[in-house]
Amino acid sequence: MPSRERLRQQNDILARFAPAIHHTLAAPYEVTPGQFAAYMQPIHDIGGQPDLPVMYEEKQEEQWELDTYVTCEVLAWRGLWNAEERRRRGNNDVGLSIYLGVPYYGRWILAAARMLVDKNKISLTELIGKIAEVKARHGQSR
Amino acid sequence: MDKADSNTVPARFKVGDRVKVRDLPNLFYTRTQSFVRGATGTVAARTHESLIPEDEAFNREDGQPEQFYIVRFRQKDLWDEYPFANDTLQTEFSDRWLDPA
Repeated sequence: MPSRERLRQQNDILARFAPAIHHTLAAPYEVTPGQFAAYMQPIHDIGGQPDLPVMYEEKQEEQWELDTYVTCEVLAWRGLWNAEERRRRGNNDVGLSIYLGVPYYGRWILAAARMLVDKNKISLTELIGKIAEVKARHGQSR
Repeated sequence: MDKADSNTVPARFKVGDRVKVRDLPNLFYTRTQSFVRGATGTVAARTHESLIPEDEAFNREDGQPEQFYIVRFRQKDLWDEYPFANDTLQTEFSDRWLDPA
């Protein structure tokens, strides 16, 4: 069972996300058309949004990134998803915290897992069980 | 580039045509950026025919393919404060996103 302390830390991480000016939202009954349009804007459609300069980092792919890429391409060759599902919706439509919070290829592998569950190729319980088994093998508790 | 396909929605525009980007509602997925909605530009190229992203993203192989176009905009038409009059931006649309301007 996760400790209360760990849950508190996890919630603190989520609460600190992105906005410099934080508007509290708690599933309100009334949403203006302008707010709705903003909420419906796809997560990757960021052109024109005010932001600070981002550091441009050029680096070689790491092995796990190459493995992820090949895994996703092989799933495509086997007809499980097309380019738009794979490269676009799958790894964009992931929620703001994942979109901003994990590396680019982290989104790819999460998209692959989500697709396999969505299309009933594997069950979520099967996947969670496997992840738990691998973590245990590596001596990780979470 | 402009190969005909009987299953494809007829291409309505040619290179040099002035077009205005439609402001269709966003819901779940599109590749048409918000900052070009309602802007007027010029067709710079007719590229390929394809399933549109909104169909392909949900694996709707039964969707009707459309002609795609590269449209060129003046940056100043997209961003009021843009400082250089001659700079342009190009981006790509399927036929349904464009109206004649």
